[in-house]
Amino acid sequence: MLIGIDVGGTTTDAVLIDGDRVAKAALVPTDVADLPGCLLKALDELVEDIDKSVVERVVLSTTIITNLIAEGKTDPVGLILVPGPGTNPKDLNLPKAEIIDGAIDFRGREIQKLDEAGARRAVRSLASQGLRKVAVVGKFGQRNHAHELSIQEIASNEAPGLSVGLGHQVSGKLNFPRRAATTLLTMATRDRYREFALGMASALRDRGIFAPAYILKADGGTVPLERSIEMPVETIFSGPAASIMGVMALGLKDQTSVVVDIGGTTTDLALILSGRPLLSSKGARVDSMLTHVRAFAVKSVAIGGDSAVRVIDGNIQIGPDRLGRAFCLGGPSLTPTDALRALGLCDIGDASRADEALFGIGQALGCSKEEAARRVVDAVVEKIAFEVNEMFMEWEEEPAYRIWEILQREKVRPENVVGVGGASPAFIPLVAKRLGAKGIVPPHAAVANAIGAAVARPTLTLNLRIDTEQGVYAVSEDGASGKVSDRKMNLDQAEVMARRLMQERARDLGIEEYVSEAEVTHSELFNMVRGWSTVGRLLDVRMEIPAGLISSWGGA
Amino acid sequence: MASEISQRASAKKTGLIFFPAFDWAISPNHPEREERLLYTRDQIFEEGLMDLPEIEEHKPRLASEKDVARVHFCVPDVGSKVTEAHLIAAGSTLVLSDALMAGEIRNGFALVRPPGHHSMRVVHGNRGFCNINNMAIMVEYLRRKHGLRRIAIVDTDVHHGDGTQDIFWHDPDVLFISFHQDGRTLYPGSGFVEEMGGPNALGRTLNVPLPPGTTDEGFHYVLENLVMPVLEDFGADLVLNSAGQDNHYTDPLANMRFSAQGYARLNEILKPAIAVLEGGYAIESALPYVNMGIIQAMAGLDYSHVIEPDYVKGRFQQTREMTQSIEAVVGRLQDIWESRENLVAIAREEYGQFYRTRKRIFYDTDMINESQMETVRLCKDCPGYNTVVTDAVRGYGKLESAFCISIPIHACKSCKEDAHEEFEEHRLELKYDYVNLQDKPADVYRSYNTRTRTEKRY
Repeated sequence: MLIGIDVGGTTTDAVLIDGDRVAKAALVPTDVADLPGCLLKALDELVEDIDKSVVERVVLSTTIITNLIAEGKTDPVGLILVPGPGTNPKDLNLPKAEIIDGAIDFRGREIQKLDEAGARRAVRSLASQGLRKVAVVGKFGQRNHAHELSIQEIASNEAPGLSVGLGHQVSGKLNFPRRAATTLLTMATRDRYREFALGMASALRDRGIFAPAYILKADGGTVPLERSIEMPVETIFSGPAASIMGVMALGLKDQTSVVVDIGGTTTDLALILSGRPLLSSKGARVDSMLTHVRAFAVKSVAIGGDSAVRVIDGNIQIGPDRLGRAFCLGGPSLTPTDALRALGLCDIGDASRADEALFGIGQALGCSKEEAARRVVDAVVEKIAFEVNEMFMEWEEEPAYRIWEILQREKVRPENVVGVGGASPAFIPLVAKRLGAKGIVPPHAAVANAIGAAVARPTLTLNLRIDTEQGVYAVSEDGASGKVSDRKMNLDQAEVMARRLMQERARDLGIEEYVSEAEVTHSELFNMVRGWSTVGRLLDVRMEIPAGLISSWGGA
Repeated sequence: MASEISQRASAKKTGLIFFPAFDWAISPNHPEREERLLYTRDQIFEEGLMDLPEIEEHKPRLASEKDVARVHFCVPDVGSKVTEAHLIAAGSTLVLSDALMAGEIRNGFALVRPPGHHSMRVVHGNRGFCNINNMAIMVEYLRRKHGLRRIAIVDTDVHHGDGTQDIFWHDPDVLFISFHQDGRTLYPGSGFVEEMGGPNALGRTLNVPLPPGTTDEGFHYVLENLVMPVLEDFGADLVLNSAGQDNHYTDPLANMRFSAQGYARLNEILKPAIAVLEGGYAIESALPYVNMGIIQAMAGLDYSHVIEPDYVKGRFQQTREMTQSIEAVVGRLQDIWESRENLVAIAREEYGQFYRTRKRIFYDTDMINESQMETVRLCKDCPGYNTVVTDAVRGYGKLESAFCISIPIHACKSCKEDAHEEFEEHRLELKYDYVNLQDKPADVYRSYNTRTRTEKRY
C-alpha cells in the first residue's frame, strides 16, 4: 500500500492507496505553527488500524520551505560573488554581496586570476559579522569551479566552522544571478529543513513504517527523504505539483488538459500538454528572487469562491479581495459561492441568505436575482476562461532559438478542464463549456493532492556538456566533471555517455528503477571552426526522467 | 530592494529578440555558421539579462513574402531566394517595430542572423553573406504599416552597407550613413565619400571611410562631429542602427580597433530606436562582450563592467595621420551635407528629366555577375519612379533577366501613371524573362513571367 500526504494551506489530506484504488482517506486541519504535527496526525489517522508492514511507499508534500521563508525563519547567509566581466552586480536583484576579482569565461577558461587576498578579507569580514553560513557563486562556475573551490578552501582556513555552499553544486544551468539566489536559499533553509526531514524519518520508524519515504518536489517528482536535504528549495511549491500529479493519476494519457484549482480568493491554473505537465521555462520565483528551481508553470488568478462581488458602473466586478466567507455561510457580503447556491449549483450554506444577497445586487443591476446570479457566475467563468487562453498564448510566445521550434509551435487548446481542490466544482463544467472542452471533476477531489503525491514517481534531469577541443565534460546538476579524449565525438556517443552518467546519478540518489524511462529531451552539436578547420566540438545533451506515475498505478 | 526592482520594472523596457539560428549555416566552415552566436548565448544567458526588469525578450515571427517584395526584386521570385532562417531574421525586426510603435518598448535590438546589409534591391543570390536586407525590410514596413516618413539608418558594421545604400539611393526621405573600413582595403570595395545618393537624394547617403586601425577615439569623433549633428538636422522620425560588430579589434575579417566599451558608448550616444545585428565574426573574443555592451547601453544599464579579457585601457592609440585623415573625411562630408539642396538643383539642371546609369554587381558568396541599367525620373513633385534592367550570369550560365519598376510610397500622380504604363508596355515584349512592378503606394507587388504569361502578386 502507498501513502500520500499533502499539507495544504488550510487542510492536510492523506490517502492510503491499495493497488489503484483509494483504500482510505483522512483530512485534518493544517496547523501552520506545527507542520510535522499535522503530517503525523494525518498519518496516524490513516494507519491506526492497519498492519504497518504492508506500507510500501510514503510520499510527503509540505509547505515547510514556503513557511520558513514567509515567517522569516531562515538562517542569515553571506554572499560572495566572483562575477567577472559583464553586468554590474548592483543591477542584479540580489542581497548585498562581497565582490571578488577573478573570471572564468563561457568555455570554462580562466581569464582573470582569483584575487585570493580579497577572498580572505571577504571571508574574515563575513565571519566577523557573526555569519555562520556563506554562499560562493562564480559566473561560469559550472564550467570551471576552480575559483569556487579555492574560496571554499580559503574559508576553511580563515574561518573554520563556517558553512560554505558552492554555486556549481546547486545548479549548473546558465544564469548566474539565479544560481546565486538558489544557493543563498539553499544555505538559508538547509539546517532547519534537515531537522524536519530527519524528524519525519524517525517518526515513521517510531510508528513501525520502514518503507522508503520520499518528498515531492516542485517539478512533480519524488526524491528520497534523506537525499532531499541537499536540495531543500526544490521541495517548495509541492502543493500545486501534487494537484497536477493528482490529475495525471486520472489517466488522461497524451491529452491536453488545463488544471483549475479554484480556492477562496485565488484560482491556480496549470497546463498538461499532450500528457506532459508544462514546466515554467526558467525556474520558480521564490521570495521575490528568481531561482533555478524546476517547477510546474502555475498561474495564479485573483478570483475565487469567496471573492467580493461588487457592481461598479453597472458592471459586475469580482475580487480581487475577499471580505469574508460567503453570505450564505454567514459572511458579510455577496460572493460567487452565493450565486452558485442561488442557482442550485451547490448545496452549501443557507439558500435564503444567498437569495437575499443576490436580490440586493439584482436591484443595482436592474434585473431579477436569478439573472444576477447567472451574471455573477458568467463573469467568473469568463475571467477564468480568458486567463486559460492567455496562458496558452504565453506558452506559444515563449522565445525559440531554432528554425524548427518556430515553425512547429502550433496553436493548442485544451481537451479537458479538470477541477481540483474541491472548493467550487460547480464552475468546472461551465468553464469547460466556455472553452469547448470536456469538464472533469475527479472522484476523491478533496484528496486529489494526496493521491498525486502517493503515485508520483521520481524525476531526474542531467545536463551533459562536452568540449572536445579542451577534452573535458561537465554535468550541470552535480558539478561532476572529467576528461574526454575523442575529438570527433558525435551526438550518439554523447547520448550513450549521458545515459551512463544518468544511471550513476540515479543509483546514487536511490531512484534507479526509473532510469529506463529517461529520455533525451535536447541535444545539440556545434563544430568549433577556427580559421578554416574544425578544431573540436561542443556537445550538449539533456536527459530527463519526466514527471510521471509509478508503475503500479494503472490509472483510475 | 523589492520596491527598487518594481520601480525599475515599471519603466518601458528594451525589447530583445535573440535568434541565433542554431540550425542554419551557409556552409559548415563558413563564418556565417551555427556556432556564430553560441558564445553570445552563453554569455547573455549566464548574465541573466533576460530576467532584468529593463529587458523583455520577444519571440520572432516569419516575415511574409510580401514584406520582402516591398523592398526586393527577387529574380525569379522571393520563395527561391530565401530560406526560413532569412524570413525569421527579417521578421524579428518587424516584431520589434510593432512593439515599438505600440509603445510597449522604449527601444529594441534584433540580435539575429543571418545578416542583411549587403543585399541590394535586386536579388539574384547571396552576396556578402546576405540574401535579403533585414534593415530595409523593417524601414519599408515602418513606412507602410506605421505611417512613418523620415527614417535615418546608421550602419556601424566594418563593411560598407552597400545593399542598404543601393535600396535607398534615390530616396530623399531615408538618410543612410555608413562608417566602415576604407573600401580600398576591405570588401565590398565601395563606400567612398563621393557616393552620396541619386540626383534627387544627394547628401542623403553619407559614407565615412575610415583608415584601418581606427580606434574608439576615431569612431566617437565621427559620431559627435558628423553623425549626431546631421541626424539632428535631418529630423528623422526614427533612428535605426545596422549594428555590425566587426569593427572590433579581434575581428578576423577586418582591421579596426574598436572595443566593447566603444560599442556600448556609441549606442548610448546614438540612441537608436531599433538596432539590428549585421556582421561580426570574432565569435569568442568579441561578440559575447560587444552584444552585452550594446544591450546594456540600450537598456540604460551600467556597462562599465563589460571588458574583454585581453583589453587594457589605452591599449590602442591612433596615429596622428589617422586622426588627421578622419578629420578631413568628416570635413568633406559636412560640406556635402550643408550643400545638399544645391547639389540636387545642379544635378537636375545637368540631367534633365531622366537620369540613367549602368552598374555591375558581384555576388561573392554565390559567384554571380549582374549588370544593371538603372533609370530614375528626376521628378519635381516626388522622389520619382525608377526602373532597373537586370541581367546576370553565374559562370557560363545565364540567369533570368528582369525589367523592374519601382514606385515610391509618396509618388506623385504622374509618376504612378507613367510607371504603370511602362509596366504594361514591357509586359508585351519578350525581351525580359520577368517584368516586375513594385507599387508601394498601393502596397501591391507584381511579377509577370513573360514566358508562361502568368503573373504572381505579393
